[in-house]
Amino acid sequence: MKQIYIGLIFCICFLLNFSNASAQETEMLAWENDTIDNKVEVAFRAINQRDLLGGVSVIDVEEMTKKAYTTYSLNFIENLIGGVSGNIWGMDEYLVVIDGIVRDANNVLPTEIEQITILKGPAAVVLYGSRAAKGVVQITTKRGKVGAPTINIRANTGIHTPKAFPKYLGSAEYMTLYNEARVNDGLDPSYSEEDIFRFASGENPYRYPSLDMYSSDYLRKAYNRSEAIAEITGGNNRVKYYTSTGYYRENSLLKVGNSKNNYTSRLFVRGNVDMNLRDFLKVQADANVTFYDSYSAAGNWWSNAASLRPNRVAPLIPLSYLEENDIPSWAAINASNYILDGKYFLGGTQLNPTNPIADSYAAGDSKFVSRQFQFNTLFDFNLKSLLQGLHFRAKYGIDYALTYNQGYTNEYATFEPSWTNYAGSDMIASVTQYGTDNKTGDEVISNSAYRYTYNFSGQFDYTRTIDDSHNFFGMIVANGWQRQLSGQYHRITNVNLGLQASYNFNHKYYVDFSSASPYSAKLPEGNRLGFSPTLTLGWRPVKEDFFSDTAFDDLMLTLSGGIISQDLDIATDDNEMGYYLYKSILQRGGWYSWADLGGEAATEFQRGNNPSMTFVKRKEINLGLRGSLWDKLVSFDFNYFSGKMDGDIARVSSLYPIYFTQVGYPTSSIIPYVNYNIDNRSGFDFSIYLNKKVSEVDLTLGVSGMYTSTEAAKRDESFEYDYQTRIGRSVNGLWGLESLGFFNDQEQIDSSPTQQFGDVAPGDLRYKDQNGDGIIDNNDEVFLGRWDTPFRLGLNFTAKWRNFTLFAMADGFYGGHGFKNNSYYWVRSDNKYSDIVRNRWTEETKGTATYPRLTTTNGANSFRNSDFWLFKTDRLNLSQVQFTYDIPKTAFEGSFVNGVSLYIAGYNLLTISNEREHFERNVDSAPQTRFYNFGVVGTF
Amino acid sequence: MKIKNKISIVTLFALLIIMLNGCEDMFEPAVENHKDTEDLYNMPGWATGLLGHAYISNPLGSWSFNDVATDDAVSNDPNNGYRQMATGSWRANNNPMDRWQYLRASWQYLNQFIFLADGVNWAADPLVAEMFRDRMKGDAFGMRALYMYHLLLNHAGWAEDGQLLGIPIVKEPEDLNSEFNLPRNTFQECIDQLYADVDSALMLLPEDYGEITDNNQVPAKYRAKGVNAGQYTRVFGDNAKNRMSARIAKAVRAQAALLAASPAYSDGTDVSWEEAANLMAEVLSGLGSNPVSQIDPTGNIWYANSQAIQNLPAGVNPKEILWRGNKEESLDLERDNYPPTLFGSGRVNPTQNLVDAFPMANGYPITDPQSNYDPNNPYAGRDPRLDLYILRNGSKAGPQSTVITTAADGSDNNALNRVETSTRTGYYLKKLLVQTVNANPSSETQAYHYKPFIRYTEIFLGYAEAANEAWGPTGTGTHGYSAYDVIKAIRQRAGISADDPYLESVKGDKDKMRELIHNERRLELCFEGFRFWDIRRWKKDITQPAKGMRIEDGEYSVLDLVERRAYQDYMYYGPIPYGEVIKFDNLLQNKGW
Repeated sequence: MKQIYIGLIFCICFLLNFSNASAQETEMLAWENDTIDNKVEVAFRAINQRDLLGGVSVIDVEEMTKKAYTTYSLNFIENLIGGVSGNIWGMDEYLVVIDGIVRDANNVLPTEIEQITILKGPAAVVLYGSRAAKGVVQITTKRGKVGAPTINIRANTGIHTPKAFPKYLGSAEYMTLYNEARVNDGLDPSYSEEDIFRFASGENPYRYPSLDMYSSDYLRKAYNRSEAIAEITGGNNRVKYYTSTGYYRENSLLKVGNSKNNYTSRLFVRGNVDMNLRDFLKVQADANVTFYDSYSAAGNWWSNAASLRPNRVAPLIPLSYLEENDIPSWAAINASNYILDGKYFLGGTQLNPTNPIADSYAAGDSKFVSRQFQFNTLFDFNLKSLLQGLHFRAKYGIDYALTYNQGYTNEYATFEPSWTNYAGSDMIASVTQYGTDNKTGDEVISNSAYRYTYNFSGQFDYTRTIDDSHNFFGMIVANGWQRQLSGQYHRITNVNLGLQASYNFNHKYYVDFSSASPYSAKLPEGNRLGFSPTLTLGWRPVKEDFFSDTAFDDLMLTLSGGIISQDLDIATDDNEMGYYLYKSILQRGGWYSWADLGGEAATEFQRGNNPSMTFVKRKEINLGLRGSLWDKLVSFDFNYFSGKMDGDIARVSSLYPIYFTQVGYPTSSIIPYVNYNIDNRSGFDFSIYLNKKVSEVDLTLGVSGMYTSTEAAKRDESFEYDYQTRIGRSVNGLWGLESLGFFNDQEQIDSSPTQQFGDVAPGDLRYKDQNGDGIIDNNDEVFLGRWDTPFRLGLNFTAKWRNFTLFAMADGFYGGHGFKNNSYYWVRSDNKYSDIVRNRWTEETKGTATYPRLTTTNGANSFRNSDFWLFKTDRLNLSQVQFTYDIPKTAFEGSFVNGVSLYIAGYNLLTISNEREHFERNVDSAPQTRFYNFGVVGTF
Repeated sequence: MKIKNKISIVTLFALLIIMLNGCEDMFEPAVENHKDTEDLYNMPGWATGLLGHAYISNPLGSWSFNDVATDDAVSNDPNNGYRQMATGSWRANNNPMDRWQYLRASWQYLNQFIFLADGVNWAADPLVAEMFRDRMKGDAFGMRALYMYHLLLNHAGWAEDGQLLGIPIVKEPEDLNSEFNLPRNTFQECIDQLYADVDSALMLLPEDYGEITDNNQVPAKYRAKGVNAGQYTRVFGDNAKNRMSARIAKAVRAQAALLAASPAYSDGTDVSWEEAANLMAEVLSGLGSNPVSQIDPTGNIWYANSQAIQNLPAGVNPKEILWRGNKEESLDLERDNYPPTLFGSGRVNPTQNLVDAFPMANGYPITDPQSNYDPNNPYAGRDPRLDLYILRNGSKAGPQSTVITTAADGSDNNALNRVETSTRTGYYLKKLLVQTVNANPSSETQAYHYKPFIRYTEIFLGYAEAANEAWGPTGTGTHGYSAYDVIKAIRQRAGISADDPYLESVKGDKDKMRELIHNERRLELCFEGFRFWDIRRWKKDITQPAKGMRIEDGEYSVLDLVERRAYQDYMYYGPIPYGEVIKFDNLLQNKGW
C-alpha cells in the first residue's frame, strides 16, 4: 500500500513537470475570475450552492458579521443552521479544517472568516478521510479581491458583568447548621452558642471571620474587553491580498492583590495572498501568527470560593490589634515581607496555613503563553493544455504551536493570632507563625508543550459541461496530515486517497459517487487499507414539467448512503494515540526492590492479540429536502439521518475472568481489544427561513434545529437484571436510583428494604427496591434520562429598516437531564454550606423539607445519583442581540471614508428555564457574565 | 532559471519533506520496544520481571489499616473505604476487601513465570544458570503459596451447599481459550495446594540468602556438581536477601495452617491445632533450640528507632523480623496519623475498646477486681504498651515531646471532634510512627521506616494459640516450650510485672488462656491489619460498636457509639466478586452474599 501512495506522489511530481513544459507554449491569460455563483466550499472544491447534495450547511460569516459581531468563530454554527449541538448529528467530535488545513477553531476570528461549511453526511465528509468521519467544520478565511486597496478598521469595547454568584452561608449560620449536622450524627455540637453569637455579631471580623469570597472587597462589578482589528485588502490581475491584524485585551473580575492585574490578550497578524504567476498557475500563500498571553496571580480563587468555609481564616489582620510592647509578635511580623498597605499582616491557621487572598498578594504569579505560527500554500495548475477542465492542485500547510507557563512561585508565612480581651476590647496576645517567606528570584517556566501539524493534499480534478446540460466532475485526491504533540511518541495521522465522480443533467438529475481509501497504521498489517464508498442521488422536481405550476421556487430531493471507515475510535483512555492496540504487548512496567537495594523493573502484559482488528464503520443513509416557496418567502432545508457506528473497539470482559485485567499498581491485562460495540444513531435537522418585507422593513426569521438519538445496539455486559441493560438505551444515559422521598422515622427505615450504602437515619433518602431482593444497592439503579440535548433549537431574527439593523439570536435546549451533584448541592462532611441546605430535613420540617438531613459524614446514602437530584435541562438562552446603524454613505462623499457602522450588542443576556438559577450559577469556576459591547467599523 | 522550473523544484522539495516527515506512523507505526513471550527465554531480566510483577502486588507490601473496620479503631476520613464498609456498605459488588482480581491477576504471572522458567537462558555458566532456575522457581512457588493464603483469608467461605470453598486452583498460565467456568476448589484442596507449593519452594530455596566465602559452605546438592562459593554467592548471596526463602515459605505455611485450624474453618479442613502448632514451631526453630529465649527484647517497638533502622546493613533483618520490605526515608505515616497540632491528619483513631483491652501493669485485665483499675484515672498503672501504641489525653508525642490534649475541652485542634483532622475517639495512633519525624511543612524531618512482612512475634503468638488448643496452656508437644512460656515472655517484654499473677492464675485453664492469648495477639499486632480477620476466624462478635472516651473538666465518660459495626452474620467470610458469579455459573458465592 505504501508503494501506491509513494507512487502517486511521484506521479504527481512528474505530471507537474510535464504540465510546466507543455504549458510553456500557451498564452498568458487574464486572471480567471471566480465564475461560481453562491460558491460553497466543500471538501477539496467549491461548488454552487444549488448543486449541494444534502448533508451540508453553509453560513456566510462575512455577511453575518455586518449585523452580528462575535468573538468566537463558531458562535453561529449551532444557531443559524441545523445539525450542530456541540457535535454534528449526535456524534462525539468533529474535525475543524481551516483553509484546507486541520486547525483550531479558536485561532481564527469571525472577522477573518468568509464562510463556514458544515459537512455532516457521509458523502460530504468522505474525501477528508478517517479522522473526518464524524463531521467537519470547514472554515474559509477571506481573500483579496481585485480593486483599489480597502482598509477596514473595527474597534470594540465592552464590559462583562457577572450573572450570578453561588450563595454560601455566613459563619454564624454555617456553624449553627454544622452543629445540627453533628447532632444528627450523634455527636456533640462543635461550636458553642457564645462562639456563634460572636461570629454573628460581626464585632471583630478578624477574630470571628465570616469570609465571603464573592464580596465586593475582592471582586469588581464589571471588567473590560477591548479590541481593535484592521483589515487591508486589494489586488490586481497578478496579485490579490488580504491582511488582517488585531489585538484584544480582557481583564478579570478579581481585584485583590496581584489579581487586579490579571489579563488575557491576543495579538494576531494574518496575510492571505493570491498570485497569478502564469496563466496556468495560481499560487496562494497564507500565513498567520498569534500571540496569546494570559496572566494571573497565583492561587486558585474560584475553587477555593467553593470550598473554603467562612469561619476558617481571617486572611488579613490589622496590625493595630498588636500591642506596642509585644516584642516577640512584632519581631515575627516585622520579619514578614508582606505587610499590606502598612496596615495588615497575613492571617493563617494550622489547618489553613495559606489562603487565596494571601496567595493573591504573596504566592507569585503565572502567565500562560501561547504562540501559533501557521503557514499554508496552494499551487493550482490549470492543465487545459492536456485536457480542457483539468486542474492539478497541491496544498501544503505547516503549523507550529507552542505553549508554556512562566512566572514566580513564592512561599509565604502567615500568622495565627491568639486573642485576649482587655477591658472589652480584643487584643492579640501572641502570634504563631506557619510557613516561611521564600521568594525565589527565579522565573519558572513550566508546562512547556509544542504541537506541529503538517498537512498535504494533491488532487487532479476535472470539470466539464457538455451541450450546456451534461455536467461532469471528477477528482482524485491524496490527502494526508500528521500532528506531533510534545510528550507523545506517536503522531495523530490521517492518510487517504479520495475519488469523486459526479454528474448532473441540467441540474435536475444528480448522481455522485464519492469514496475514500483511508490508510491506518493503527491497524494490523493486512487491515490497514480501508474503503469508504458513498453514493448520492439528487432530483430537482421543480425542473420537471409537471411541477411548473406549484408555489415552489426550488425543490431538491437527495438520497445518500455510505459507509465511512474510520480509525478515530481506535483509541483508548490509556492509549489515546491508539497505535498497536491490535497487538499483545509485553513491556517493562512497575518497579520492585528488596534487600535494601535499588531494585528492578517488572514486566507486564498489556492487551491480547487481535490480528483481525479493523476500521470502525459509520454506516448511514441520509434523506435531504430543500427548497423555497412563494418567491423565497419561505426557504427550508431538511435532513434525515439514520445509521450505526459499527465495530467500536472494546474489551469483551464478560467472556473472561475479572483477573485477566489488573487495576491499580501494577496494572495489566491480557484481554484483546476487538471491534465490538454498535451504536444506532438517527435524527433529523432542519432550518426554515422566512423573508418578508413589511412596508419598509425587511424581516427575516430563522428557525433551525436538530433531534438526535444514539442508542447502544451491542455492548459487552453481564447484568443480572434486565432493567440494567444498556442495550436499547441512549448511550448518553444517566443512571441512578429511584427515590421515594425521605425516611421520616426509624420505624420506616426498619420496615423498608435495607439500604446498603452506609448509615441511614430519618431525613435520608429512601429508594425503590427495583428487584425486590430486600436490599437497595447498585443493582437497583435504573435509567433516568439522557444527559445530552435531544432537541436543539436555534432562533434568529433580523429586522432592517433603512440604515438600522436589529439582530437577535436565541438558543434552545430540550429533552435533556442532569444531576445536581456538584459541591453546591451535595453539602456534607466538611464542605462549604450553600443556601440549598436551609430547607433541609429536620424533625420539625419533615413535612416541607426539600433537602436531606445534614451530616458530617460523607452521607453516602443520600448523596449518590438518584432521581432526587435529577432535573430537566430545558432552557432557552437569549444569546445575542445587536443593534447596528450604518451611517449613510452620503455623509462621507468626497472624503476618504467609504462607510462607517456603529453597533451595540449584548451577549448571554437571558436564560428562560425552570432551572435558570442553576444554569446561571458557576460553582468552582469564574462566574458567567453578560457582555455588553459597543463597536464601530469604518471602511476607507 | 525559469520560474516554472523553480516552482517544480520547490514543489518536489515540499513533497520530499512530506514523505520524510511522514514516515513514522503514516504507513508503519513508529517502532516500540515490545517483546513477545517467546523473547523472554533469552531475556532473563525481563523474565524475572514477571515474578517482579507479583512482588509489586505483594499483599503484605503496605499498611492497609483495615483495623478501622474493626473494634480497634475508626478513621476520621469520611471517605475511607473501610469506614464505609463497616457502617453498612459491604456488598459483593462493593468490596474494599476484594483481592480476587488483584491477587489472581498476579497469580497468573506466577503461573506464566513457572511455565517459562525452565526454558530461560538464565546465565552463560550452566551451573549458575541451574541455580538461578532453582532460585527463581522456588521464589515463584513460595509467592504462590503466599497469594493462596491471602486469597483464602479474603474469599474462602461456606457455600450454600455446605461446602467450605476456596478459590479455583489454576496452575497453568491461562489464555483467551482456556476454560473459565471453573468451580471453586474446596478450602482443603487449596490448603493442600499451598502446602505443595511450599514443599516445592523448600526443595529449591535455601533457608536464608547471604554471601559465603568457603566452598564447603555450598549446599551438598550443588557442591556435588562442582559449584564453588563464588558461583553460589552470585545466585544466593546478599543481593537476594528478603526475597522469598525457605524460612519465609514455612512461615506462610504456618499462617495458613493456623487459619485452617481456626473455628471458622476447622469444620471444613483436616488441619489440626497440633499441625498448626508444629508448623509454627518449625519456623521458630530457625531462631535456635530455645526460641523463647530468643525473643527480640525490642520486638514490640521494632519501628521506633529510625537510627537503628538506618544503620541496618543492606538486607539484614533485626531479630524480630522474618521478612520485610526495603527501609526508606519518609514521613507519610506521620503526616497521616500525627495529631493535628503536629501537622498530621489524625487518621487512625484507636477505640476505647482497644484501650480497655490493655491490662494493668500488674497483668490483670482492667475488669478483674484485683487490677486496681480506676475509671477516674484510667491511664494510670497500665500495661506500658498502652502508651507505646496509643496517644491518649496527656500523652507526649512528636519531636518536641508535645503534650497532646484530646479532652473535649482542650484548647487546640487535638481536642475530641474539634476539626476534621481531630480524633473521633479521644485517641490518636502512636504505634508505627517515628516520633522524631517533624511533619511541619516548613521544617520537615523524615525518618527511616520499613514495612515488616512477617514478624516473629506473630509466629510466637500463632504457636501459643495453636499449642494452647492442642496441648493446653503448659503443654509443649515435642518442642520444649508451651503457650504459657511464649505468653510469659511476651508479657515480660512488654513490661508486665515479673510475677505476672494473672498469667499464673490462668495457666491451668485452657479457655481463660485462650482469651489471654487472643488478647495478647490483639495488643501486639494492633494496627497491622490482623484484627479484622482474627475476630472472624475466631468467630467472635464482629458487631461490637467502636467506643471512644470523652473527657471534660477532668471527668471521663465513655462514648458508647462512635461508629457502629454493621456486619451481618454471613460477614465472617468475605464475598467473591459479584460480577464473576453472574458470568460463571460454576462459581458459587459464599453463603449470605
